[in-house]
Amino acid sequence: MKASFILAWRALVRSHVLTLLLVATALAHAFLPALVRSDGTSAGWREMFVRAVPGAAYVFIAVTILACACGFFAQERERFRLSLTVVRPASAFGVALGKWLALCAVAAVALVFSAAITAFRLSDAPRCLHHHSPALPPAAECARSALAAYLADPKTPEAVRRAPRAAVLSLLTNKELDRYDVVRSGESFAWPFDASLASEPGLAVRARFATQFEVRSPFAGEFAFGGRTAPVAHSTQSSIDVPLAAATNAPAGQASSATLDLVFKNTGREIVMLRPRRDLELLTPADAFCWNLARATLQMLSTMAILAAFGMFLSAAVSRPVALFTAIVAVIVTMMAPSVVAQFPDEMNTKFTERFGLAISRAICTVTSTVSESEPISDLATDTCIEWLALARSIAVNVFALPAALLAASAFIVRRKPLAENS
Amino acid sequence: MSAPVIEISGLRKTFRDFWFRPVAEAVNGIDLVVEKGDVFGLLGPNGSGKSTTIKMVLGLLAPTGGSVKIFGLPPRSRAARARLGYLPELSYLHPFLTARETVMYYAGLSDLDRRTAKARTAELIEQVGLAENANRPVGGFSKGMARRVAFASALVSRPELLILDEPTSGLDPIGTREVKELIRRLAADGLTILVTSHQLFDMQDVCSRVAILSHGKVVGSGRVEDIVAAAADKRHALEDYFVERLGIQ
Repeated sequence: MKASFILAWRALVRSHVLTLLLVATALAHAFLPALVRSDGTSAGWREMFVRAVPGAAYVFIAVTILACACGFFAQERERFRLSLTVVRPASAFGVALGKWLALCAVAAVALVFSAAITAFRLSDAPRCLHHHSPALPPAAECARSALAAYLADPKTPEAVRRAPRAAVLSLLTNKELDRYDVVRSGESFAWPFDASLASEPGLAVRARFATQFEVRSPFAGEFAFGGRTAPVAHSTQSSIDVPLAAATNAPAGQASSATLDLVFKNTGREIVMLRPRRDLELLTPADAFCWNLARATLQMLSTMAILAAFGMFLSAAVSRPVALFTAIVAVIVTMMAPSVVAQFPDEMNTKFTERFGLAISRAICTVTSTVSESEPISDLATDTCIEWLALARSIAVNVFALPAALLAASAFIVRRKPLAENS
Repeated sequence: MSAPVIEISGLRKTFRDFWFRPVAEAVNGIDLVVEKGDVFGLLGPNGSGKSTTIKMVLGLLAPTGGSVKIFGLPPRSRAARARLGYLPELSYLHPFLTARETVMYYAGLSDLDRRTAKARTAELIEQVGLAENANRPVGGFSKGMARRVAFASALVSRPELLILDEPTSGLDPIGTREVKELIRRLAADGLTILVTSHQLFDMQDVCSRVAILSHGKVVGSGRVEDIVAAAADKRHALEDYFVERLGIQ
């Protein structure tokens, strides 16, 4: 392992890959900020800066690492060097592991360099925020209850009864995720949240109200949570953060053992509504921006680790151009699959081919969920705290479990692939 | 009694296309035994199955039939691989590594500890006459120099069996002479060597036993000493034997 690590590291350094990454990152940090346009607020500028500059560096580093990984075994085979490695007693897994570690090390150097410049530029950034969703029962559970109610109802059409259970549940789950709660003028609505949040300092509400006709209209109201209130007057269709302040005459909300209600009273004239699972959150301050940046860098590194392992797996099996093409297609499909699944309309009225495509998209979503769900740049840009648990999960899957499986598969192929080279 | 260094029996290799239809019968029932201390020459015209045989001995190709054993072990076993060195026909080295780093790399792949690897590398670099160029990237080396680096890499693990595929291919007369001298020296140290070559004149100088391959079959084999003793023209004994066994007029 050590020998192949040193070889791969020297290859990446002496072929100027590392230099290229560092120079490109430095150039991105030097010139891209001039192109950043924002809404004029410091938060807006910071968001655009993070998306444009460290975001561009991240994409460039990822593409470079993937391109290098796709050539590692393939080029050695094409240049007839692989047989010299395979006839040695070193384990093929050790060889693959060494190369993968070298790629990860190069990616780490480039990412840390980019993070260091970002930390320097955004040294005055505020603390990141924990996001807390309403304490609602899981959407799938609500869907199951709704389905049971449908089936018990004699008026339910026969088509619904005969439809595949999984398809109906999927449909109802999506409906529950997009369910709107309507607050009429002069009325109040309450959503349960974790009661322990009431004692958190710096508590704020993030909400995005809508109107029935999806037009921008002014609305007004007041949030109340655990003795703290916040008046709000804004436009519908846009997200707003409202800090909650202590008030003596505030309604305390209905407290159960573990939850406490966040109450919104609509004092405006418009009927407003929001999706509690998508449009409503409580925000509490987390740690400093630099810590969040460090976690984001680790999350980016874990993505690099899986990309490197995937590229190496492909390069063990096929030639470099084919590996590169397949890897790029796979990355695009991985990025697109969640939106295909989310945006697909009524599954019950689909043809077989559409259901087949959807099933494939779902399978891809499941396999690649740790990669596609982690959005370090987006989280960093919106001051969203990257939770340690999510980071640990990302590292466990993307740095240990999946690469171990992919490298073992690469080693297996490498031991047998020289057959093709010689035939 | 210990097992022969290489034991090949009924070895066959059929190359197939994508649809598994047979395309070529590269090796067709070879039986060979290489004993300890032999310098065994595997000779034959192009397409006779020499390289395919060597690749099956190295475990790089799976035989279609028959068996290969190295020191009584399957060629893909770690224990067998730990005891052999391989020099391919062309020296495919990493161009950005220096000569010293190249030999160290192969020492690392052979599981040598760092201290032993360093000492062995220095010794071999000296032995192949590259001490002055040890820290130059091999990408800038001549064919002969690259060959010497490859030789050092093949020998770094102190193999008991050395497999040389066309070791003098592409070398000038001086380089060829150096390689022959090196083979003789290694043989004198008790190393078993399996070598393929088209250079029959050179093989006569270094081999103790030879086998002539044609169309994937052994068409003649014997001790070089005996072949030379039976020949009228001692200088071209192996060449005459080769031509005779292939039935060339």
